[in-house]
Amino acid sequence: MKRTSSPHTATRVGRWLGIAFGLCFVTGLLSHYIQHPPGWFAWPTRPVGLYRVTQGVHVTSGVAAIPLLLAKLWTVHPKLFERPVVRSLPHALERASIFVLLGASFFELVTGLFNATQNYPWRFFFPPAHHAVAWIAVGALLVHVAVKLPLMRTPAEEVRRGTLSRRGFLLATGVAAAVAVLATAGGTVPWLRTASVLGTRSVRLPVNRTASAAGVSAVDGDWRLTVGSRRFSRAELEALPQTTAELPIACVEGWSASARWTGVPVRDLLALAGVEPGDVRVESLERDGLYRASTLPAAHARDPLTLLALAVDGETLSLDHGYPCRLIAPSRPGVTQTKWVARLEVVR
Amino acid sequence: MRWVIGALGAAMGAWGALLLVPLVDVDLALWFVGGPVVHDLVLAPLFGGVGLLIARWVPKPWRAAVRVGGALTGVLVLLAVPLLWRPFAGPPNPGLDDRDYLVGLLVATGAVWLGVAAVALVAHRKRPHAGR
Repeated sequence: MKRTSSPHTATRVGRWLGIAFGLCFVTGLLSHYIQHPPGWFAWPTRPVGLYRVTQGVHVTSGVAAIPLLLAKLWTVHPKLFERPVVRSLPHALERASIFVLLGASFFELVTGLFNATQNYPWRFFFPPAHHAVAWIAVGALLVHVAVKLPLMRTPAEEVRRGTLSRRGFLLATGVAAAVAVLATAGGTVPWLRTASVLGTRSVRLPVNRTASAAGVSAVDGDWRLTVGSRRFSRAELEALPQTTAELPIACVEGWSASARWTGVPVRDLLALAGVEPGDVRVESLERDGLYRASTLPAAHARDPLTLLALAVDGETLSLDHGYPCRLIAPSRPGVTQTKWVARLEVVR
Repeated sequence: MRWVIGALGAAMGAWGALLLVPLVDVDLALWFVGGPVVHDLVLAPLFGGVGLLIARWVPKPWRAAVRVGGALTGVLVLLAVPLLWRPFAGPPNPGLDDRDYLVGLLVATGAVWLGVAAVALVAHRKRPHAGR
């Protein structure tokens, strides 16, 4: 029995895939702008788990898109063998645009999946490449939608072909997307942690960069936190009024974990040091590394829940969690929650 | 409407290309071209081939169920690749990417086949004459 492509089924799966790509693109752009904010961009500090949700949606919709893309390609696979290969100039352009769409789509899904597991079998720098190709993928997707718009109203095929009925195929595709999500979403959804056997997070509160990986060794009594012209020892910080808040660490790689952090609000430290609040540069003891410092936007620096944490879940921070103190701010990517903080400086 | 969507898509794609040009090298180009090539030359023929084997060897009432089970297994295996094949991974982190993923994959695959078998059995009971 010769299989032919099926525009109705392709459109249905394509619509699901379009939703997954749309969610992935918007949440990915948000994450990009939070880390490299253009002048017009502002990110709210509430709800505290906002970034946890947007980045969880980013990685989860990307995972769901993998079976959806494969199912979509299966519905149109016979068109790959179309003869003649090229009928006309518009036909050549259309095939070329589909090649770009697929190249960009696979690039995004595969590099995203590998990056989510901190596995980098390539030499290029992941964030700018993943960002640039996302624009190409969504652009090529819109071109594809524009080309295929008339086909989207094709009625369902009446004849049952192959092993699976049309409904059976759609149902199986939905189940495949659900299985993929269930198997991985435990990295961010707390009650799925055990069930998600392919999830990245194995404990309640993981450590993403150990002190030894960061080149930070045991911190002695000489350590001081510098804020403007003031210097605080750890004992002085402990003597200040403490705030305790339930805040998530939400990693760009998609996992997230909530914990009870106790420490001094950054805005109190700035007030004690007598510096005008603004964007705050937070520097680590870490000598080098891409994320040794971060810039806290003014809105976050003013927030009473943005803490220089001294303890987590009632215990003194361990060195791996950032002892003597670490930044923890509501609704921010994990890489900007700087550990082993040595200096706060208002930059503007 | 079509022209608006198409023009917007072309503009977004051009912006992406502009961002990508300074990053392009052989490695990145291979990763871009690799997806469709691997899909068309490996994944699709593999899935089609397994489908043919199933059509040949599996009795008709069970074919659909076995195909769905095979497809779900394939998806789980693909998702497990970056967790099991890690010569390029970063330094290990406590609590991240450190589960026993081979056992996890086997458990998930087992659960999928149990589910598929259960659904197929129920469907078979409902239509005892199916496949005759």
